[in-house]
Amino acid sequence: MTRNPDRPKAAPMGKAASALILLLPAMGLCTVFIFIPALLAIIGSFHSFGITSQVWVPAGLSNYSRAMADPVFWVALRNNIFIVVGSIVLQVGFGTILAAILDSGLPRGTTVFRTIIFAPMVVSAVAVAVIWQVILDPNVGVLNTLIQSAGLTPPKLGWLGDPMISMWVILLIAAWQYTGFMMVLILAGLQGIPKEIHEAATLDGAKGVTAFFLITLPQIRNVLVVAILITTIGGFKAFDLIYATTLGGPANATQVLGTYVYLQAFNLGNMGYANAMSVILLLIALVLGWLQVSVSRRA
Amino acid sequence: MTGLKTAMRARAALAGMALASTVLPSLASAQDPVTLRMWALSGTGIEEFYAAAEESFQKTHPNVDIVLEVQDGEAYKTSLQVALVGSDGPDVFFNWSGEDAQRLIRDGLVLDLTEGATADGQFGTTLSEGWLGAFSRDGKIYGAPANAVSKYFYYNTFFFDEHGLKPPSSFGGLLQLCRDIRAIDPEIVPLPLGNSQRWKMNHYITVINERVMGNDALRADYALTAPDDQLFTNPGYATAWEKVLELQQAGCFQDAPNATTPEVSRSMFSSEVSPMIFCGTWCGGIFDSEGYTGYSMFRFPPIEGGKSDGNSNMVVPEGVQISAKTAHPKEALDWASHLVSAEVGALRAELLSAIPSDASLLDQAKVTEQFRWMAADMTSLAVQYNVIDVEVEASVANAYLDAGTEILNGTMTPQQAMESIRAAALAAKAAQ
Repeated sequence: MTRNPDRPKAAPMGKAASALILLLPAMGLCTVFIFIPALLAIIGSFHSFGITSQVWVPAGLSNYSRAMADPVFWVALRNNIFIVVGSIVLQVGFGTILAAILDSGLPRGTTVFRTIIFAPMVVSAVAVAVIWQVILDPNVGVLNTLIQSAGLTPPKLGWLGDPMISMWVILLIAAWQYTGFMMVLILAGLQGIPKEIHEAATLDGAKGVTAFFLITLPQIRNVLVVAILITTIGGFKAFDLIYATTLGGPANATQVLGTYVYLQAFNLGNMGYANAMSVILLLIALVLGWLQVSVSRRA
Repeated sequence: MTGLKTAMRARAALAGMALASTVLPSLASAQDPVTLRMWALSGTGIEEFYAAAEESFQKTHPNVDIVLEVQDGEAYKTSLQVALVGSDGPDVFFNWSGEDAQRLIRDGLVLDLTEGATADGQFGTTLSEGWLGAFSRDGKIYGAPANAVSKYFYYNTFFFDEHGLKPPSSFGGLLQLCRDIRAIDPEIVPLPLGNSQRWKMNHYITVINERVMGNDALRADYALTAPDDQLFTNPGYATAWEKVLELQQAGCFQDAPNATTPEVSRSMFSSEVSPMIFCGTWCGGIFDSEGYTGYSMFRFPPIEGGKSDGNSNMVVPEGVQISAKTAHPKEALDWASHLVSAEVGALRAELLSAIPSDASLLDQAKVTEQFRWMAADMTSLAVQYNVIDVEVEASVANAYLDAGTEILNGTMTPQQAMESIRAAALAAKAAQ
């Protein structure tokens, strides 16, 4: 029997062992900090217990049926989806536009422009929350002062106190913080496009916006998929900005799954229910991740 | 079960040590270095207070070091529960009385101090039964009450004198006062309300509930012991929310209380932008530290037609508890007793503006006249009651907190608010 010359040779045992040894620390960390807690959360979701409880009482699927019947759970999920879609439009959309402007070249101030847009990214979410709380304060905040000086009327219940607009305000604050990161990510993709492609497009008569949509964007499709994936993950992970600004209020209007899980687990002592919502969130994240990887592979 | 066994072993050790300490000097404490982890709520003067308390404690316990860790309110409650269940928690920690303390007692996470606390020289022999009851359950002592906080209306005495205004003696008078202040200048907010974290309105409704229905009528509902068909059905509850709306309609509050933080509302008073504020007894220390001392106080007035005569107020005992997992129960008890001693009580009043468990200690303390007034007033109360979000079961408290936000936003009527609270109470009672 002859060996197929195209089949790769099997790696020697030594190389496989080395690879395993090098992987072990990361696997260990993942096991301790991700897989075991996830497993405990799944097990906990089928029990009733509080954070200080000594005993976990089996609860079957009652925590899951409770989530299905809980209006605040659906408000939180809707808000998460709202943040994901809104962030994709604002952060990835504006990030792409800003990256295109930088890539096309500014007459001067490119570095300053890029730094200013990126700067909010390095500020912690809590600091961002505190800064915007002061800006948006209905009594002493500068935004209301500017609006009133322009002869307009700010919202009566306050930017963060009005249940109809508070979620939009959170979305805009998040966009202010993270658009710069998307800009830098997409700019790296734009700058990786070979010049010949632009030259060829120009020779063929494609210019300006047409060239951008038909030539440039397809070239950075993979970068855009990554940007959308990061934004989606961030949208479902949302917690710190909302917790620090509104605590999920007013009256659950800005509640997201992260803050609601926290409320149920640590304020109301319903750890089993909180675990069930966490598992639901995990399943959503896994489905979305699989979808996006599939789209990316097809691209 | 493991936690309970540990607690029982620690209690036995504590009782034995307490008995030995009445006969022998603390030879062990004089020899072996001990480190006690102390958790406390952050606030003005906290680090200074505990440093001074530790210095005086080390005169009798030179081998004991206190390691202090402080956190803000909401983070503190969460971290404490996690830490007590884990292996790296505090030995002694600050806690509020009411449901916060009772939850830890029920779950066996705090030490039963009954035998140790009633030994000679310990706090159980110096504090009254009323105070000891704040951290007791089924006749056993699970914590040392150190001080209490309450709420009053603070008012700008210069503004009041300048405009001929007087503290009101009735709820109707309070509404008229707000209207009078708005008439002086419509831009002035008479009573800034910082309800962004929900608890400020909860303090209002706690007092208004008592003013409308009287304290006795509330007990069975708050404890979830009322029959199901009567739980939170008293029409007085909806009336109480209507009183909140009356305050709002009289122009007492600003337009966006749910978007205003407690800190901003306090600053509006201390910077004399607003002439009144409903604030805790601890606020006096904050105003003093900010250089504003031109204020006086009055109690929430009685409500016309209400069952309470107004000789009552919200009083929240605070104190320290000892972890059931502490490795040093004797030293922890000594430290807890020291924190509620006369010597430290005076320090507590001076540095934290906290009313100590023994009001006579204020004679020795350097405190403001306003502080003495509040302490004397609290001592004179015929009826004291805890705040709703500390008193009642967590989900009922959460329903009350949300209802306050929705009432202020106009997204719930008083009747709808009580329907949601009653539903939460029934669910909580069924789950018990």
